[in-house]
Amino acid sequence: MTSQITGALSHAPSQASERPLPEGVRDLLFEDAATWRELEAALRTTWQGWGYREIILPTFEYAETLATDVGAGIDAEMYRFFDRHGSTLALRPDMTIPTARVVGTRLYDQALPLRIAYAGSVFRYEAPRAGRQHEFTQVGVELIGAPTREADAESIALAVAALRAAGLPEFRITVGHVAYFRGLMRALMLPPRYAELMRSAIDRKAEAELAALVLEAGQLGAREREALLALPLLSGDAGVLVEARNHVLNPLMQTALDELVELSTLVEAHGVADAIDYDLSEVRDLDYYTGITFEGFAPGLGFSLISGGRYDDLVGHFGPSFPAVGWALILDRLALAREIQGVAASAQSADVLVASALPRAALRWAIEARRRGLLVELDALDLTPDQLWSAAQARHVKRVLTFREAGNLEMRDAAGVHPLEANHWEEIETWRQAR
Amino acid sequence: MASSTLNEGPLTVALPKGRLTDDALAHLARAGYGMPHDLNGGRKLVVDGEDGRLRFILVKPSDVPVFVEYGAADIGIAGLDVVREAERDVYEPLRLPFGYCRLVVAGKEDRPDRPLRLEKSPKVATKFPRLTDAFFRKRGLAPEIIIMSGSVELAPLVGLADLIVDLVQTGTTLRENGLVELRIVLESQAVLLANRASYRLKARQVRELIDSVAAIEKEERA
Repeated sequence: MTSQITGALSHAPSQASERPLPEGVRDLLFEDAATWRELEAALRTTWQGWGYREIILPTFEYAETLATDVGAGIDAEMYRFFDRHGSTLALRPDMTIPTARVVGTRLYDQALPLRIAYAGSVFRYEAPRAGRQHEFTQVGVELIGAPTREADAESIALAVAALRAAGLPEFRITVGHVAYFRGLMRALMLPPRYAELMRSAIDRKAEAELAALVLEAGQLGAREREALLALPLLSGDAGVLVEARNHVLNPLMQTALDELVELSTLVEAHGVADAIDYDLSEVRDLDYYTGITFEGFAPGLGFSLISGGRYDDLVGHFGPSFPAVGWALILDRLALAREIQGVAASAQSADVLVASALPRAALRWAIEARRRGLLVELDALDLTPDQLWSAAQARHVKRVLTFREAGNLEMRDAAGVHPLEANHWEEIETWRQAR
Repeated sequence: MASSTLNEGPLTVALPKGRLTDDALAHLARAGYGMPHDLNGGRKLVVDGEDGRLRFILVKPSDVPVFVEYGAADIGIAGLDVVREAERDVYEPLRLPFGYCRLVVAGKEDRPDRPLRLEKSPKVATKFPRLTDAFFRKRGLAPEIIIMSGSVELAPLVGLADLIVDLVQTGTTLRENGLVELRIVLESQAVLLANRASYRLKARQVRELIDSVAAIEKEERA
C-alpha cells in the first residue's frame, strides 16, 4: 500500500513541470465544471420563470465607477491596474454596482420595474475562505423601480426558489431591517463614539459587552435600556417581530417592524415561510442598505452563501434615483454547501464508447444516437476490445459498442458481452435515464 | 423543506489547549453540561460530553477562532487576545470570568525614559503581529515586527528586539528577566464565540448554551 502511494507520488513530477498559478485563482475540472454549469442553468431557469432578464457586464471598468458606494472593505480589495492612457481600471469586485451603472446611465427611461439578472466572475483581494478564491462567481438578481414590500418579498422568495432549484437540501434565510437599529440609535441620542461601540458589539452579537456599554452610557431611560439589551435576542422565527413590538421607541423603528410584518405575510403567501428567520440585530453593511437585508446559511458551511437587501440610494449615484432590491449568491459556496450536504457531483461520462470498426455503420449510428440525446464517444485510437473496455471503465463510461459484419452489434457492459440490434432505440434510449 | 430536517446533534465546542482548558471546562460544567472523559489525557481528538449535548475538541488557542469561523466548531472559548489577533468573522456573545491577563508593550528596565512616539522604528518581538502593528502604527510609528512563537521575553535580552508585545498575568516573568511594562495594548479575558451560521441553524441549542453560561455569572453576582 505504502509503496504504491509513494510510487504514484514520485511518478507525477517527471510527467508534469511546475507552473504555479497566481494567488486566488483556480481551474475547475470536468465534474466541477459540469456542476458549475448545471447550477448556473438551474438558477437561470428559475430567474427566467420570474420574469428576470440577463445582462452581461464587462469584467473591468474605471476603478472610480466600481468604487462608488462600495465601502472601505471592498474598496481596499479591488484589483486595480492602468490602461495605456494611464487611467486606473479595476476588475469588478461585485456585480451590483455595474448593474446600477447600466440602469442609471442607459435604462433610466425604460418601463419600471426592471428585473435584471447576471452571472459571472468577480475579483477581490481577500483571503480564500469557504470555497471562495480571489476570483469567484456571483449569480444575482435586482428588481429595480419598485419600492414595495411585494418587491422585497419577491426577492426573498426568488432567493429561496433559486437555492431549491439548485438542489441545496437545507438552508435558512435570515431577514433583518436596517431602520430598526437606525431608529434605535436615533432614539438613544448617544454620543457618536458610543453609537459606534454599540453597533460593533451588536454586529458581533456581544450581549455581555453591550450590557457593559449600557451601564457605562449611564443616562439612558429604562425603555431605551431594555430596547438595547433585547436587541441581540431578537433573532429567530416570526415570533421575534411580535416581541420587538414591546421595544419600539419611535416611528422609524415602527416602520421597520411594520414592513417586516407585512413581508412575513407575503413570504408565507409565496410558500417559503419555512425557510425564513428574522434578525433585528443584523447591522452589517448598514450604510449600503436602506431597508430589508437578508443572508442565507447552510449547515456545515460556516459562512453565508447568499446576501441581499434593499438599496434605494445606489442607482442615484449614476443617474436618476430608483428604489432597488436584490441579492447575489456565491456559486462557489453554493457548490460547496451542496457537497457538504452530500449532493452527488454531476456525472460527465458518455453513455457509450463506440469502437472504430466498420466506421460507416458506426458513425451513422452515432449521429442518430446523438440526435436522440445520447452521449456518444468514438474510439480515436483503434483500440483492441480489451483496451476499449479498460478505457471505458477509466472514464466511467458504462458500455462499449462494436459493429460487426451485416449490421450485427455487440455490446459490452458490466454484465458481459451480448448482441444488440442497432435500431432497437427503445432500449438504447433507456441508457439516458440510467445515467 | 429547509427547516424540518436540520438535525439536532451535539454542539461542537472548540476549547483552547493550555492555561484556559480547565477553567473553560469547569465553567461549562457549572452551566450544567456533561463533561468529557479524559479530554486531556486521552488520545482521541474529538470527545463527547457525558450527556451527549456537547462534543469537545481541544485545539491550539490561536486556532479556536478559525475552527469557529469555518463552522468546524459551533462554539469556541478563547482569550480576547487571540480573538482580536485572528480577526475572524465570528460572534462573541459572552465575556467569561477567567483567563484575565493583559497584552503589554515591555522593554528593558534600563531603557531611557521617553515616549514611544519618539522611537525611530522599534524592533518589536511578539506572537501578536497584527495587534502590535496596529498599536504602533496608530501612534505614527513603523515598527519592525519580529514574529516569534515562544520565549518572547528573551528577545530584548540578547539584542534581537528593542521591545516586546506579550501577554502578562502577574508580571513575574517580566521582572525576573529585567523587563518592565510600558503600555497596555489590550485587557484580555476568556470569550465565548459562536459561528454565524450555527447561531441561526442551531439557534435553540446555541441560545440555551449562551443563556446557561450567562446565568452562572448572574448567580455569582447575586
